[in-house]
Amino acid sequence: MLALNSVSRRYGETVALDRLSVAVPADSYVSVLGASGSGKTTLLRIIAGFEEPDAGTVTLDDKRLDGVPPHRRDIGFVFQNFALFPHLSVGDNIAYGLRYREHAPITDAGEVAHRVNDIIRLVGLEGLASRKVSAISGGQRQRVALARTLVTEPRIVLLDEPLGALDANLRERMCDELRHIRQRLKVTFLHVTGSETEALLMGDIVAVLSRGTIAQFAPASTLFSAPRSADVARHLNAYNILSGTMEGGRFRSPAAAFPLPAPSSARDGTPVEVALRFDRISVRPADTAGDAVLRARFITSEFTGSSVLSFFRTEDGQLVQVVSHLSGPVPETYAKDEVYSLAFDPAEIVPFFERAA
Amino acid sequence: MESRVLKPVLAVYCAAFILFLYGPMIVLAILSFQGAGGGPQFPIIEWSTYWYQHLLGLTPPGRITQLPIGDALLRSLTLAFMTTIVSTVLGVMTAQGFRTRFKGSGIVFYLVILGMIVPGVLVGLGMALFSNMAGVARAWWGTAFVLHVVYTFPFAFLVMLAILNRFDRSVEEASLSLGVSPAQTFRRVTFPMIFPGVLSAMLFSFTLSYDEFSRTLFTSGRELTLPLTIYGTFSVEIYPNIFAFGVLTTLFSFTLLAIYALLMLRAVRKGQAFKGQEAEA
Amino acid sequence: MEIADNRPAASGFAESQGSSSPAQKREREERRRALFLVTPGIAWMTLFMVLPLVMVVYVSFWTQTTFTVEPTLTIESWQRFLSSSTYLSATWTTVRIWAIVLVSTLLIGYPVALFIGLFVRNQTLQTALLVICVIPFWTSFLIRVIAWRPMLGTEGAINMILINLGIIDTPLTTLLFSEFAVLVGMTQIYCVFMVGPITFMLSRIDPSIIEAARDLGAGFGRIFFKIILPLSLPGVVVGAIFVSVMVLGEFATAASLSGRKVNLLGNIIVSQVGSLKWAFASVAGVILTIIIAIVITVMLRVVNLRKEM
Repeated sequence: MLALNSVSRRYGETVALDRLSVAVPADSYVSVLGASGSGKTTLLRIIAGFEEPDAGTVTLDDKRLDGVPPHRRDIGFVFQNFALFPHLSVGDNIAYGLRYREHAPITDAGEVAHRVNDIIRLVGLEGLASRKVSAISGGQRQRVALARTLVTEPRIVLLDEPLGALDANLRERMCDELRHIRQRLKVTFLHVTGSETEALLMGDIVAVLSRGTIAQFAPASTLFSAPRSADVARHLNAYNILSGTMEGGRFRSPAAAFPLPAPSSARDGTPVEVALRFDRISVRPADTAGDAVLRARFITSEFTGSSVLSFFRTEDGQLVQVVSHLSGPVPETYAKDEVYSLAFDPAEIVPFFERAA
Repeated sequence: MESRVLKPVLAVYCAAFILFLYGPMIVLAILSFQGAGGGPQFPIIEWSTYWYQHLLGLTPPGRITQLPIGDALLRSLTLAFMTTIVSTVLGVMTAQGFRTRFKGSGIVFYLVILGMIVPGVLVGLGMALFSNMAGVARAWWGTAFVLHVVYTFPFAFLVMLAILNRFDRSVEEASLSLGVSPAQTFRRVTFPMIFPGVLSAMLFSFTLSYDEFSRTLFTSGRELTLPLTIYGTFSVEIYPNIFAFGVLTTLFSFTLLAIYALLMLRAVRKGQAFKGQEAEA
Repeated sequence: MEIADNRPAASGFAESQGSSSPAQKREREERRRALFLVTPGIAWMTLFMVLPLVMVVYVSFWTQTTFTVEPTLTIESWQRFLSSSTYLSATWTTVRIWAIVLVSTLLIGYPVALFIGLFVRNQTLQTALLVICVIPFWTSFLIRVIAWRPMLGTEGAINMILINLGIIDTPLTTLLFSEFAVLVGMTQIYCVFMVGPITFMLSRIDPSIIEAARDLGAGFGRIFFKIILPLSLPGVVVGAIFVSVMVLGEFATAASLSGRKVNLLGNIIVSQVGSLKWAFASVAGVILTIIIAIVITVMLRVVNLRKEM
């Protein structure tokens, strides 16, 4: 188990990590979701030992990692730009760690070739071993980067936006393969990404990194259905966040007032934020009555393959997004600048009290 | 429309400038084929390779003594070679050190750069005084050699600094993350990748040292280097043999340049992968 | 954001965490490694450059006897230098030659840089032209100096051409072994150091700026003085520093082409060392150093290079 305990790192005035604590279980796929500048890369670099924390500890199976030079940590790192050795062939790139590592290098050429071949087969690079790394495609480079790391059998593999440099098709395929490879090797993957779909799809567990600390650490499904804070909900890119105040146990904002799923003891005037999923809203004519209704003006729609994403704006300027799936009844087309009623089931609302201020 | 006139005018001017740069050398090359009885000027009394033979000691001894270039050439090449090795090693080390920020790096930077700025006569004089006081005999392989390094090390340093500034650190980090020690990482990854820069630094050092004379003048002792042999002719009458010598050394330099170009081409071809990778990322 | 200590510097932050946070240890380790790497270079430069230079200053106050110097401190050499018209005129000649060569390399080099850097937009041609300018450096410096002798001599190429063209009847004798020869030689040899940096700065000018100015109706003169010249100024300063440093420390060109008519401070040093007048040579050396220091300081004042490059 990899554990970070109250780790802080700061560059001059900017705080990259702020007393971050997290425990990554062995043999698991953990994805770390964070916006750019949230400290994702710093987190990985500290675990890998390219940087050290200003405060806090990093332990792996109860042994301190901080202070240990990176080449003695036994932690693999897959770089976003792959960082392949440009002067070596694909095969030599993969064999590099086995040959030259400080601890237990493999001097027997046959043994090296054997292991390299195994891993080449695993990542699907057959027949490319003698190629130059400049003469292969982006997806193949990604595999070389992965194979080069996996062949040394590290205890944990850190992946820094590993799919960022690939095109969309390739990304989807690699997602599957990464999970597959990990399950076969039974090694922990810590995968950092800025894409919520990638994070939710890949991770057994997803950690949301926000303001230099872990905002939520939970299985993907839990995270998606029950974000712990508005901040987390925002990262998921699936929730509208409305802010308002409590009034008689109900949510109230200039644009709407509706009951909350569970009765709240919060006093009147307490600030509150609520999260409302994009795909849990239905668009009705403006005069539709109901307890849980937002009135908003239609702005525009976007087709995103299997669904339509529509944008509305409430009177007080809040943007509300609605997803309607094309599999359902053919969606109406809405008139620009027309007011509609956005109806939802109050039981689906997720309220947050703490951070609302 | 003004630039339509200006451009051809400047082009002609530029051609004239190139003629200005090359003119003297062309004249010198022509006069190197002066006949045996001719002087270092026009007219050419007879086209011949007499002065080349004279330079190489193939002509019967005559009124004009042979230029003592044999030993001097050997000394200059040895000196340039020693200088190249030491200044390149120092240049790579110092530039590598500069990748980490440390207090006083600004001062160190200027200290090193000063080596290429300070006039040769000054350090030459200083070193001569220093060796007098310390009782060290002046020799081309000692007092002159250390000054050559003082002169060429800054060039090697600047070349390496430029190369390392553009160097992608993640490649080294990748090596470390594979369990390879920093020393091995330098040997297996960093050095092969900065090799074109090292080659340039070596070329700079070699040519600068090979041609250096103002630092050598006071410090080489009694055994002269090649440039000092030429400098010695300044005070006496010159003959076309020195022109022939000029042509030969220039050809030698071009050979050196060609070797460098070939090595560079190979290194760049090897390193192309890196560029491709950067473009993709 | 809610970190207790809010001191601005990173080091201040680390200190507040106790003296050995891992980050600090790593930093210290890296700094030690860096210092280890730069130490040989520093040592070399200190021992073989700074110390000799200090030596020059020191010996300039030693007592000069006929064939030797003694470490008895005196300002006698300084007094002799500053009261001798020969040496003062050498100082003046050095400054004059430097100024003329500086101006002539700039005037001759700038249009070339303008052409290569601004008018040639083809990268390959640009590089080719620059390489053509640099190739002469592959000939020994001293050979390049000597090459002016058959050019400028009484029976040299220029006289021959001028006579054949019927421009003159008798060869010009003032071309070689005169100050003129020194100036021409130095200008040719050092011009490229001016062309290079200016070309570099000019080639970085975005052509669309000039295009825009032209669209607004600005003539070339206006564009040149308002846009091109200011943007190329850092290149001019770098070139000027190169040329100045090299010309001020010169002695070979004067020795070869002036027929002993031009004596620079460099020549004074050489001749004084030749006659074992070490203290005297040192005084000339210190004065040369002062002149160079003043020139570079003034030039760096004109343009803040760190900001511009």
